[in-house]
Amino acid sequence: MSDQTSALLIIFLFVISVTILGMIPGMRDSTKGGMKLEDWAVGGRNFGRWLNWFILAGEIYTAFAFLGASGWAYARGGPTFYILGYGALAYLVGYYILPAMSPVGRKYNLMTQPDLIEHLYSSKTLGILTAVIGIAFLLPYLQLQLTGLGLIIETCSYGQITRVPAMLIAFTMVAAFVYLSGLKGVATTAVVKDVIMIVAIMFFGIYLPTHYFGSIGGMFEALDAAKPGFLSLPGGTKNLDVSWVMSTLVVTSLGFYMWPHFATNSFSAKNPEVLRHNAVYLPLYQICLLFPMLVGFTALLVLATPLKTPDMAFMVIVQQLFPGWVLGLVGGAGALACMIPAGDLLLSTSMLFTRNVYGRTLGKELTAHEQGRMARFVVLALTAIALSLAIFLPNMLVNLLLTGYSGVTQFFPMIVLGLFWKKATRIGAYSGLIVGEILVFGLILGKLDPLAVGGMNLNAGFVALFFNLITYVAVSLATCSAEHPVSAKARDL
Amino acid sequence: MMLAKIILTAIPFIWTIGMVPFVNQVKPLVLGVPFFAFWMIAGIFVCFLCIHGLYYIDSKKNRAG
Repeated sequence: MSDQTSALLIIFLFVISVTILGMIPGMRDSTKGGMKLEDWAVGGRNFGRWLNWFILAGEIYTAFAFLGASGWAYARGGPTFYILGYGALAYLVGYYILPAMSPVGRKYNLMTQPDLIEHLYSSKTLGILTAVIGIAFLLPYLQLQLTGLGLIIETCSYGQITRVPAMLIAFTMVAAFVYLSGLKGVATTAVVKDVIMIVAIMFFGIYLPTHYFGSIGGMFEALDAAKPGFLSLPGGTKNLDVSWVMSTLVVTSLGFYMWPHFATNSFSAKNPEVLRHNAVYLPLYQICLLFPMLVGFTALLVLATPLKTPDMAFMVIVQQLFPGWVLGLVGGAGALACMIPAGDLLLSTSMLFTRNVYGRTLGKELTAHEQGRMARFVVLALTAIALSLAIFLPNMLVNLLLTGYSGVTQFFPMIVLGLFWKKATRIGAYSGLIVGEILVFGLILGKLDPLAVGGMNLNAGFVALFFNLITYVAVSLATCSAEHPVSAKARDL
Repeated sequence: MMLAKIILTAIPFIWTIGMVPFVNQVKPLVLGVPFFAFWMIAGIFVCFLCIHGLYYIDSKKNRAG
């Protein structure tokens, strides 16, 4: 069997078996007349410690962890190390936020992030606005998974299968298991994916530098000698310096749990205790992110021709060194790393649209049954949209994600202060959100990210968050006497 | 107890964000990785320990309350 055939065969097996695994929960329920909406969207709210942990972890180790981290290391050097820092801080933030959100969600039957906003501020319109913004930032995230998948299959087939058909096939499968099983499908498949991914990433991260340079330290010594300064800030870039790393760490650690799909997950936990317990052990997962970086650095030293797409560093170096079946295994793990988070993103985005945009603008309450039917249909529509984005507007993975982070971080004052601060008001939430998002879009579209101010290069999301927070607090204080404070209601448990 | 929680929450942020200007260097390599990378990885463990501390304080409070 040629390398090409064996690589493709293995990937194909991976993709098919995960799809089937993901369909099982939905199939089981179909005998009882199909899954109920609450089962489909938030897993029936009874995910225990481990299942919840796997969902969280399953979303963190996405195409980005696999390809983006190695691509950054290959192209940018030192600034890549910020990726090691933000996850653990984000869990610390989550330790406070998630257990506060979960009981509110259970008591008032909330399923999505805009549900929570609508509840906190008793405002339908603000809920709709949050949903629309959330969808706008989830789509690039979904596209990121697609693009990654296309790249992987292209490399594994040695260029025989081009990106577009590859993405079409795999995403049809993702849509299929989300359509049938919802969140339970995502969770069962996440377990399998995580194990395979961690093994693959750790193996190559240790094997490749050791194979070429004797040890990880040897590899870094060689790289430092070949490119002095590349491994510190700003490394291979002009403006990703100390101030950029600091401001980006603030944005990403605060913004992490502001992704709309994480709200859905915290509503799927049995009780707040589960969420607190998870926060303790999740940080250790972050150490795994070092390994793809090691692969990227080794690729920079070893690969003779510079890569056009740095994100392909991982796949290319495996392709050059190993037989086809190994490439197939890595590609299979990578494909799952794209498919499973994509499934979760599809689910969340479809819920946002169905419940919070379509359902609210229609002006009548949708029954759970109607919502469920519609949400499943929207999954298919979103798959089509994300596919067209990925085909016609491909972009470098990380840039997309950073834009998304800057955008969702703007929800932070509204959600967190809404939960914890007695004087938060609806007008404050509107003003802060609008100021924040206008600044994010303005700075990023105006190519001002990072923004150079007073000798510093600040992440655009950080600048926007700063003004967002000031606006939120100032307007809330000015209007809180006139309006009944919102958060009293949230704590009314 | 409140003070302990504030301290445990602040330490990881100071370690991972506040210290960046002072640890931006390649040498010495610690355990084979550049110093800045080592600092970030150590931050993960610091954070793990601090969240563990918070969890301990909270679960003790829940049992007592």
